[in-house]
Amino acid sequence: MVMAFFRGRGESTLDEVKGTLVSMLADGRTVFDAATDAVFGGGKSKQTKQTVRSTDQEINTAQQRVRRSLMMHSAVTTVDLPAVLAYMSIVKDAERIGDYAKNMYDLAKYGANFELAEDHDELLSYRDAVGQLIDDAAATFASQDQTQAQKLIDKADRFLTDYDQKIKAAFRSEGTADQAVARALYYRYLKRITAHIMNMLTAIVMPIERLDYYDEAPEDR
Amino acid sequence: MATPEQPITARSARLPSPIRALLVVALLYAFLVGVKMLESGIKGIGSDYTDPLFASVSNPLAGLFVGILATVLVQSSSVTTATIVGLVASGVVGVEAAVPMIMGANIGTTVTNTLVSLTNARRSEQFRLAFTAATMHDFFNVLVVIILLPLEILTGFLHASASWIAGLFVEGNLGGTFDSPIKAAVSWSAKLAEGGIESVVSTPVAVAIVTIAVAIGVIFVTLTFITKNMRALVADRIEASLNAVLAKSGTIGIVVGMLVTIAVQSSSITTSILIPLVASGLLMVRNAYPITLGANIGTTVTALLAAMAAGSVDGLTIAFTHTLFNVLGILLVYPWPRLRYIPVLLAERLANMAVRSKSLALAYTFGMFVVIPFLGILVLT
Repeated sequence: MVMAFFRGRGESTLDEVKGTLVSMLADGRTVFDAATDAVFGGGKSKQTKQTVRSTDQEINTAQQRVRRSLMMHSAVTTVDLPAVLAYMSIVKDAERIGDYAKNMYDLAKYGANFELAEDHDELLSYRDAVGQLIDDAAATFASQDQTQAQKLIDKADRFLTDYDQKIKAAFRSEGTADQAVARALYYRYLKRITAHIMNMLTAIVMPIERLDYYDEAPEDR
Repeated sequence: MATPEQPITARSARLPSPIRALLVVALLYAFLVGVKMLESGIKGIGSDYTDPLFASVSNPLAGLFVGILATVLVQSSSVTTATIVGLVASGVVGVEAAVPMIMGANIGTTVTNTLVSLTNARRSEQFRLAFTAATMHDFFNVLVVIILLPLEILTGFLHASASWIAGLFVEGNLGGTFDSPIKAAVSWSAKLAEGGIESVVSTPVAVAIVTIAVAIGVIFVTLTFITKNMRALVADRIEASLNAVLAKSGTIGIVVGMLVTIAVQSSSITTSILIPLVASGLLMVRNAYPITLGANIGTTVTALLAAMAAGSVDGLTIAFTHTLFNVLGILLVYPWPRLRYIPVLLAERLANMAVRSKSLALAYTFGMFVVIPFLGILVLT
């Protein structure tokens, strides 16, 4: 323990926090995949439930670790205050991805199954797009590439409009209530996951006061 | 909305570590030159002026209060103890008279983290924890002074032991001098600076007064920047070591507190870092306690460095007295479970009262660190 003082830590706290956030996104992808597999025919199973729960628990633990590290860092040095505030905000976004993926698994638990749905391909394409978005966000966050971050934000922004239209369509659909509810919630959860990813990416391209503002409608920004 | 030049999640721009390390070495050298100048400045005034001035602190309690008040005013026990080393090395203040001043500096330095804890006053639970963490340091230092000051007045064992320890390192008796590489390295620059002052000021007494003023300024400024730069230089190491002891209590905390304080050259920095950690619940009060005690030992390194520059056996003796006092204080209180947590219990009681009445916290801080020492000096001198 005393040797920790002489050894130092090898990397700065902020680099360590960035690494943890990237791994939280990777875990988020794991929960997301497991949960959506359940909705697309896999159904509820003990194994899926275990994967979803344990990975989400890891995400929650990582969030607490990040908060502890940031608190310690801000107690020792104040020069990184903007970064500490930004990370304190976006670690919540990273954690929420797991939560919404968990909600997605609940859909399967309540009986939602898109395997044989008419709009199966369309539903699946959005799932694949969001999965890819999580991966791309993790890579961009690791590299802190501002150009790539902006491209991803623009791409994700277009998805948000699509999701709104899909939710409206579900309300107006002539199908059964359970089909409409399942689709409305499915797109709602995809929208929230996308928005949280966008929030994280804003930390790379926006000043601190503009963090989180990309999930509003363009005219409200 | 324009994109910032770099992501807000990036680390802030920093001075490269090798350059900062060189800067610290330069500042440390300037600090030691300041101590040397202080010593020769005081000698330059002459005993006709200095003897009446410092005669009053021959009263141990007055010396204690002077130590507290001086440290509160400069917000740094390192500045006070380095100045005391300079005074003792010049022969103006005797070792015996300086011991209570050193003890006072130990108490006075705790004002900084007490002030930091007051910033939590709006949130009761955080404030209770923060104020406990801050004032347990006050109570510990006062308790140790209550035990050791009477013993020292009666027997002189503390400075006698320190004198014996100093004798292990340098040859020479009390009142004598010794040569050290540090002394040799700083003497030339100190003389150069004094020569510069002599070319501007005419009378010897005026030269001495200006030299003292410049020296105290140099000591204060250099220590401030040494602390600031060292804190930046070893921030990652501080975080790593504090993270390692977050859930631990005991001797390991004392060692970590000592190492961190030696690195940043300020016990106030170490103990002030602990306040937000305790207030946020990240660090338990009882785990912060040994780190605080370790800071007491770590901060004595500054006086030892100053003594090496002054090259006086008396100066080295008072510096070792500082170290010995803090080590003994811990040995007297910490190993015994019944005694160990008395300062923490007292601090918790005070904090509980302070949560109910915030003005009590203010009254305590102002009374303990300003009113009592000020009145004490007025009455006793």
